[in-house]
Amino acid sequence: MTVATDIARSRRRSLSLGAGRLLLGLCFAAACAAPFVLNGYFLYVLTLTGVFALVALGLNLLTGYAGQISLCHAAFFGVGAYVTAILTQKAGVPYLLSILAGGLFTAAVGAIVAVPAMRLRSLYLAIATLGFGVVLQKIIFEWRSLTNGGGGLALDPPAIAGYELGATGLYFLTLAFVTLGLWGAWNVSRGRTGRALLIVKESEIAAGALGIPAARFKVIAFAISAFYAAVGGGLFAYLVRYIHPENFSVGLSIAFLSMVVIGGLGTIGGSILGAAFYVIIPELLRGIKDAPGLVFGLLLVIVMVLMPQGLWGLVRRLGRRT
Amino acid sequence: MARLAVENVSVSFGGIHALRDVSFDLESGAIVGLIGPNGAGKSTLLNCISGITRPDGGRVRLDEVLLSALPPASVAGCGIGRVFQHPELVVELSVRENLMIACHRSLNYGLVSELLKLPHVWAAERAAARRVDEVLDRLGLSESADLTIRNLPYGHRKLVDLGRALLMEISFLLLDEPIAGLNEIEVAKLRDLLLRLRSDLGLGILVVEHNMPFVSGLCDRLVVLDLGQLIANGLPAEVLSDPKVMASYLGEDA
Repeated sequence: MTVATDIARSRRRSLSLGAGRLLLGLCFAAACAAPFVLNGYFLYVLTLTGVFALVALGLNLLTGYAGQISLCHAAFFGVGAYVTAILTQKAGVPYLLSILAGGLFTAAVGAIVAVPAMRLRSLYLAIATLGFGVVLQKIIFEWRSLTNGGGGLALDPPAIAGYELGATGLYFLTLAFVTLGLWGAWNVSRGRTGRALLIVKESEIAAGALGIPAARFKVIAFAISAFYAAVGGGLFAYLVRYIHPENFSVGLSIAFLSMVVIGGLGTIGGSILGAAFYVIIPELLRGIKDAPGLVFGLLLVIVMVLMPQGLWGLVRRLGRRT
Repeated sequence: MARLAVENVSVSFGGIHALRDVSFDLESGAIVGLIGPNGAGKSTLLNCISGITRPDGGRVRLDEVLLSALPPASVAGCGIGRVFQHPELVVELSVRENLMIACHRSLNYGLVSELLKLPHVWAAERAAARRVDEVLDRLGLSESADLTIRNLPYGHRKLVDLGRALLMEISFLLLDEPIAGLNEIEVAKLRDLLLRLRSDLGLGILVVEHNMPFVSGLCDRLVVLDLGQLIANGLPAEVLSDPKVMASYLGEDA
């Protein structure tokens, strides 16, 4: 990028902001219309995309902005799912309140996981978080009196104020959470916290010299990210209505990380695109006999080779051309 | 008038003494040059003052506040700004966005307010943006405000780093080799700017620099380190003619 493109970019900014808002509005309108067009299965796929998009939004704040790798997000997702399910099913707490409680509880767990992050970096941090993920999954498995262990938890259909949600209701609830999550992540990324996370990623010494305590902001990033994952987990539990510790293994953590990288590290919109790619593309490939995994794997490689800045980088490039 | 005091500071790395019993002080409104040959301990001393390195002995105080017991972010919060030899900026962000990072401590809204972008968050961000505009103007960088750091000349990057320190409402400024990599015109501009900062804001400035004409023309006083020990502290003309300084720093026989 040159100085000329920088200047052109700043002149185009207000125009592209207007176009971006229009596009966002159109996407939101399409998302609202989707349940009236799609069949039950595709509505499930779209709801799952929304659930994963929430997790990816939080993980992108942690990895894309703060530069902290996490391989325990599936466990955060699982803790959120179990806390929501147990509070709703066993304690009779209203569903929405349970989701919020699951989010706050898991945010506290995320803050604890952040303690080694104050000392560790890159692969060492990845391995430490992997260990935490395994421990959390094991706790869910072994705490049979609460979680029913390997037997899993079967859940009743979700209800709000006595009204059963159904597939369409849960879809709209997920859409509401994604919209709120997107707005919150956008605000954080462009505010005091987002800027602090970026300088912590760049240089902890420079952050300190600017009065920004790197350790505190790593903890904040883990807590916010865990909150997003747990809210996703609370929605996921009542989307599938049967949860089992094996649902929340390290493979899912790697999938979450892939969504963020495919969508575009350090981009809010990329989190949504990454989740959509990861959930919807395999569904579209189901028609290819015996080879959907192979084709999807090759697509992943192609996206990463041709679009090192992720799908959001491609959207930006296309936006500049128009 | 604030006073930054380095008192009997010693630092060792393994068996090597980087600093031994170093003492001097700096008052607001003064410009002091910290000079010495490579390996003398100048950067280690800056690190001790800014809280990056904890001294093994001695202490650093800002008036009655014991800075050497504080982490770097708290030291910065006490009004000690640091400009690095190589500016550590976020290269994919613009000049303005990098400067906004330095408004962190003056933006005291909470995380929940930020998530919801409540009205007082908007107001605080707008006030910070106005302060950034003032600093851009002071540094002569208004024209470059929307350029990304990646496309900025090295000299301007150093000014952005200085601008970040100025946005932190500091009373003392620590500069590590500020003119390294700058051309003659940029050096002259920086010298004028530092003198203006002293007269306008009353900043106390500590400059680590190898360029003797620059430091002797800018500084009120020079402090000389050699092998971690303070060997001279006084007026530039006196210090530069001190036989010990000439022997150790300039490599001449006393």
